[in-house]
Amino acid sequence: MIQKFKKLLLLICVFSAHTLYAQTTTISGTVTDSSDGMSLPGVNVLEKGTMNGAVTDFDGNYTINVSNDNAVLQFSFVGYSEQEVSVSGQTAINISLEQSSEGLDEVVITALGISREKKSLGYAVTEVSGDNVNTIKDNNLASSLAGKVAGLQISQSGSLGSASRITIRGNNSLGGNSQALIVVDGMPINASLPISGGGSQISSGSADSGGTPSYEPSISGGGISDINPDDIESISVLKGPSAAALYGSRAGNGVILITTKKGTRSNRIGVSVKTNLSFDNPMFLPEFQNKYGQGTFGAAYSTPNFNPLANDGNGDYSWEALSWGGSLDGSQQEYYNGDTRAYSAQSSNVEDFFRQAERSITTVSVDKGSDMGSIRFSYTNNSSNSIIENSNLSSHNFNLRAVNNLSDKLTVDTKGTYFTQTVNNRASTTGAQGLLAYVYNMPRNVVTDDMRNYQMANPATPSEYNEIRYAGGNAGNPFWMLYNDKNDVRRNRFLGFTKINYEFNDWLSAFARIGTDVTNIRDNAVKRPGGHFANSGYMKLGQSTFTELNSEFLVTAKHDLTDKLNIVANVGGNMSKRTSEGMLVQGTDFKIKTATFINNLNVVQAPEESPLAIKKVNSLYGSVNLAYDNFLYLDVSTRNDWSSTLSEDNRSYMYNSASVSAILNKFIDPNKEVFNLIKVRGSVAQVGNDTDPYQLNQTFSVRGQGYLGLTTVEASPVRLNADLKPETITSSEFGLELGLLNNKLTLDLSIYNMSTKDLIFDVPVPAATGFAFSRDNIGEVTNKGVEIALGASVLNSDNFSWNTSLFYSKNENKIEELVDGLDSFVYNESIDGGVKISATEGGSIGDIYGRVWTGETDAEGIPIASDANVLLGNAQPDWLGGWSNTFTYKDFSLSFLIDARMGGQIYSQTSAEMDANGVSARSLQYRESGVVVAGVNVATEGVNTESISGQEYWTAMSGISENYIYDQDNIRLRELSIGYKIPVGSKFGLQSATVQLVGRNLFFLMNKADDIDPEAMFGTSIGVQGLSHNAMPTLRSIGLNLNLTF
Amino acid sequence: MKNKILIMASIILATVFSCTDDFNEINEQPDALTSSDVSAKYFVTTLQQKLYRSTTVPLWYGDLLHPDQFCGQWAMGHSSYAWNGDFGWDYFSVLTDLGSWDWYAGYNTNLTAYLNLVKEGGPLENDQYYALGLVMKGLYYHAFTDTFGNIPYSQASDLSVELPQFDAQIDIYRGIISDLDLAISIIGDNTITGAGVDQLGENDVIFNGNMQNWKQLANSLKLRIALRASGSPGEDFSANAASEAIASGVLADNDALFEAFADETDIWGGSASYGDVWHNFPTARWKISEAMMNVLKQSNDPRLGEIAKPSVGGTITILKPTDGENVSLIPDHVAFLQSTLDGAGLVLGTDYTWTETATDLTITMPDNTNYVGIPSRLSGKIKTYMEGNLFSDPSDIVTQQTNQGSPIFPTIVMTSADSHFMIAEAIVKGLVSGDANTYYQLGLQKAMALWNTATSSDFLASEMGSLNGSSEQNLERIATQRWLANYTNGYEAWAIVRDTGYPTSAVITSNNNDIISFAGELNGAYPQRLQYGSSVYTSNAANAEAAVSAQGPDKMATSLWFAN
Repeated sequence: MIQKFKKLLLLICVFSAHTLYAQTTTISGTVTDSSDGMSLPGVNVLEKGTMNGAVTDFDGNYTINVSNDNAVLQFSFVGYSEQEVSVSGQTAINISLEQSSEGLDEVVITALGISREKKSLGYAVTEVSGDNVNTIKDNNLASSLAGKVAGLQISQSGSLGSASRITIRGNNSLGGNSQALIVVDGMPINASLPISGGGSQISSGSADSGGTPSYEPSISGGGISDINPDDIESISVLKGPSAAALYGSRAGNGVILITTKKGTRSNRIGVSVKTNLSFDNPMFLPEFQNKYGQGTFGAAYSTPNFNPLANDGNGDYSWEALSWGGSLDGSQQEYYNGDTRAYSAQSSNVEDFFRQAERSITTVSVDKGSDMGSIRFSYTNNSSNSIIENSNLSSHNFNLRAVNNLSDKLTVDTKGTYFTQTVNNRASTTGAQGLLAYVYNMPRNVVTDDMRNYQMANPATPSEYNEIRYAGGNAGNPFWMLYNDKNDVRRNRFLGFTKINYEFNDWLSAFARIGTDVTNIRDNAVKRPGGHFANSGYMKLGQSTFTELNSEFLVTAKHDLTDKLNIVANVGGNMSKRTSEGMLVQGTDFKIKTATFINNLNVVQAPEESPLAIKKVNSLYGSVNLAYDNFLYLDVSTRNDWSSTLSEDNRSYMYNSASVSAILNKFIDPNKEVFNLIKVRGSVAQVGNDTDPYQLNQTFSVRGQGYLGLTTVEASPVRLNADLKPETITSSEFGLELGLLNNKLTLDLSIYNMSTKDLIFDVPVPAATGFAFSRDNIGEVTNKGVEIALGASVLNSDNFSWNTSLFYSKNENKIEELVDGLDSFVYNESIDGGVKISATEGGSIGDIYGRVWTGETDAEGIPIASDANVLLGNAQPDWLGGWSNTFTYKDFSLSFLIDARMGGQIYSQTSAEMDANGVSARSLQYRESGVVVAGVNVATEGVNTESISGQEYWTAMSGISENYIYDQDNIRLRELSIGYKIPVGSKFGLQSATVQLVGRNLFFLMNKADDIDPEAMFGTSIGVQGLSHNAMPTLRSIGLNLNLTF
Repeated sequence: MKNKILIMASIILATVFSCTDDFNEINEQPDALTSSDVSAKYFVTTLQQKLYRSTTVPLWYGDLLHPDQFCGQWAMGHSSYAWNGDFGWDYFSVLTDLGSWDWYAGYNTNLTAYLNLVKEGGPLENDQYYALGLVMKGLYYHAFTDTFGNIPYSQASDLSVELPQFDAQIDIYRGIISDLDLAISIIGDNTITGAGVDQLGENDVIFNGNMQNWKQLANSLKLRIALRASGSPGEDFSANAASEAIASGVLADNDALFEAFADETDIWGGSASYGDVWHNFPTARWKISEAMMNVLKQSNDPRLGEIAKPSVGGTITILKPTDGENVSLIPDHVAFLQSTLDGAGLVLGTDYTWTETATDLTITMPDNTNYVGIPSRLSGKIKTYMEGNLFSDPSDIVTQQTNQGSPIFPTIVMTSADSHFMIAEAIVKGLVSGDANTYYQLGLQKAMALWNTATSSDFLASEMGSLNGSSEQNLERIATQRWLANYTNGYEAWAIVRDTGYPTSAVITSNNNDIISFAGELNGAYPQRLQYGSSVYTSNAANAEAAVSAQGPDKMATSLWFAN
């Protein structure tokens, strides 16, 4: 490590050597705020008409070399009016900038990395600063975006090292992917999941089915979770096709555009150290009962003479996993491990299973700049534990960015990021057979630590090498699973690009960029012998590689047609090549029971190869931006894609967009007495979308395994379609932006309407046709919505300030049309058959259908669930809201974020199972006295008079899914940070030091669901939204940040 | 000048970026085959394997939970079983869909692709392969319709029909017979499918490419269908079909078995044996049912020790419940357990001891000695009394896991035993003439041989040993033996019970829901079919609803045409 660091320092030195080439005149000075005289760091200083620039350092000092004495320096800084000063032979220029009363000069990064003045945009872009996502960190960057952008929805799932689902403005596609495209420094990054892992969600049909729930799904990481928050300068969220049209096919679902840090153009070496130490605990756990213990129908245990140590694998498995036994009265009873013990409640046994997890993330960065360019190196180390034992993550991220002005016209910008992550046991926690099923449902008198004795000890005799469980064969032992049922993942990723920019003259510039993203994933899943499933043991080794290579160019021309009419034209092209390949080896039955590697397997299945699959998309695009008199802006863009995944006839497709922005101050409030900004905007756009490789021609597959040593060939259940056309997403958007009272109050409002047609979809067809699916272009899905962002600078005095912002977004998704003969499509059915997640014509994606109580009881008085599935809700929330606040008082700051998710439903299979097992607090009802369910008894056809026990009642209730459809409504204190800027002077070369106390997911202000966090979904695919089943508890993390800059 | 360069550059770039020369090539899947790469024989193996050695899920959720239980040969519901005894006796969409409907319906993909390849004018045209395909098609549709009733048949596999209608079972039977007739005539005297790459040989896992065996199998299936149709409303073909089939020659010496194997390693995606469920999911183990055990014991059947293992026995203590509704049921439950042991022919004091106190019940039994079947269809309420060690497991050859080097009982497609029993049945029913008892006893020999035993004098002396009773008694014996000969082939064994009503002990219906499962909509009735997969109501709704109105409610209790 130290060696590496030394080498890198050497590299930095080599690059820095360029600064030795001096130019003619050196000017230096200090930039201050005109109102308070405080120095301003980060101000851009530019020699007008050139790319030559500098940035002020922490003390507001700058140094710049200019080519001649007649140069003009431009000083610009967000929130301040730009100033120009002629050099005129001066060598020291001190300047004070005035705070801008207009705020019109805000610059945002738009598609293709083009910086634009926000006021000129005819579509919605939300920018999030780097500080906003790296103060309160999570292992997954996506988590830090939650609640900060109107229209952005993040769903979490799975355990440490798992991915999130990110959608912007709802679900546009019927199929698996409606997720946003992630673009880092102009290069789209791969968000594909490895062939194993995520694939386990998809157990039947094609990927378009959205995946059927698995018994113990395991959700892979990848995509945005590999990006290091500390390297982020800013994030632009381009919502919908209007903003993203220039990214083409993949951008139909919006783009998250991440701009990473460059070195600042300061002459001194800047060093910063950021370290974060945090502690994670479950935010909350379901509520359990503590009155009744293990057993069924009131009997403590079914078979008290059970001896797990004599379990030969064939004998007795009869200890009940249920907590429907007798009262936990402390009487001496036989315990599951053969002891005799007091039969008493273990009220914290679930809580005891989890541990406090520590997470430490440290970033060291070094940067240096000069008029020749800048360089920045950062290293981040993340070492995180999970709240479950034997599961942790460690990653190292190396990032080197160098910008070099080779001449006054030629700039080279290069970045390389190497990311390596090891997840030790990304545990399969969710699902009916996931780890937590056996934790949440453990009988109420079981002592957690007793389960640590989980393995019978004789590997020489396989039947004596078994898992010890609290309920014999009726449950798993969670500790056994943690230590013997493992899922290790290693990811190595390289992201890099080189961009060459050339300024031909003052109106024409061009850049060429080539970038790559290579991800290597190695999965190793092991089930050791002796477990409750795959008793002889099982292991899987997967290796997959994903690459993406983008080569592109962009030519930009600016021209002032008249004084008032300016034109900027861009023409560009992109060649994108994406590949995937992989190998998978799996087998069962370990020869020697204590060791787990492939050579030790008795039965190795033929390796599966996914040969190199290549997808290429070539594109040409252009845009023209017209600005008239600084108040009227018109953008038009066009793009043509050629995709290798479509047939020759359909391969080439073009789509266009147009947008208008008008600043109406001139007409309404020219003196800016109330409004300092009145902007209206509108846009229409279209984006085409292609498909994956090999979707056109019908072929046969040969099974690697064969059968009895014979070659076997199979036909595909999907009827492919050589005439597949691209999907088209059409969107229109209208917006209003207001700035009031000197920008003390701002409003940004958007109304949009999106429609996706010709969706490429595997239409389920009757199997009698000879196929299970027919791949066609079908249907139409629309998303309509409103987004409102309000900002207010409530107080802004010398010592005290309070800024607040509020957003609201509402989206309505509708399936306008499917296809003739198909009114509804079931993404999947929950494992218990309780609910179906479907897409129904006239409904919306993620409609939840399930069973209701018929109002009848059977002869015995047990409530009867309906056969038919009734619409019970929808997985998509109605609206999302967020309220963030920042207070500063002298050197103290306090900020918090409260966010809300309202509307939408979720089926808690967790709760249904807890009720059936008698562990939930709810299940105490009717235990003592039983209940006569008020309904019609089908045997007597009169009012039911038959009494049933609590166990029968709750078992019946658990099969009636409407009981467990919860509203997703919840409001939580998502983030809180309290910071203090330590006055350090310049001791030890310190420039600044801040400490922050940070917290995430601190508490709910409201949560309508029992037992679960409605944001914790079953998986990331579209078909499992609206289901929650033994999800990992949401983490409440509290931590400390220390940021030092030298 | 500069502008010209720019224009030139733009043209060059436009050419480069719209260049799609290699696009067709890279979009061809390297690990896929086209019809020119393949031979029909590779599909034959797939067709056989997909129908007879399903993957773990259909074997478990389908065979084990439904037909194998419903036919009364195996039962779950003992205390060591993970789920309640009700499991499988109530409609549970996930189990029916994944276990049976999807598996059967999905089979059609490979069948259709195969028939299209080998049919006249197809890329791999070959009439013998086509005939074999028709026999596989017949086997498939017969099992499929006997499980669900009306299903798409006449309009199936027709690319021009997107929403095929469901056909009445009688029409499906007629269609299968006509396909079989075609297959029989195409095969004629042919013995092989062709030479070289066309020679089927070992890729035919059932008959090693012997087309005459396929012809016999076709005739046996035709006879089976004729007998099942016989007496059902509106049928007029069974007598003719039965006599034609017998005259043309059914399986006489050969069994159509799908041999077990020792080297199948793809237990997740490939095929599975019962043993893979048994050993990988130890909580899903089943017992020999009371019905089958008692049939075997009462006739001193020599197969008993081959089919079943003695119960583990030992000292077994069962705690009585202290709380809740089950307290009042203690006397009933205890009495039922004791009557079960007595019903198995065990003698109190000799074969077991019984000590009952106010709080518990202790039974001792010698280790590995008694044969006791467990009653089928037990309610979850009595589960804790049904201590696993009291009851007999299936023999090791049935529960043998794959890849362990030990023999596994083969999957039954059609046995010569069944062929002989069916001839006897045709004679007793008066469809053909002949000496029924001769065929019956030949069938017995073949059936015993399947389990490596021979008929014993004890057995021949039992009621079951010969057809010497009334016509109805003889039909009962034939049905019972056909049912036993199809042990481990639950779909067919269940169809025999539904068609004939025998053995009567297998038809467990009840109104005592404290002991027998009254679960769900069956409400105590005997299951007559499985419900359609839920996908038909989303992908082919109008036709499915038409089928329901023609056939009766889409419920397990709705009797199928052949059972009427």
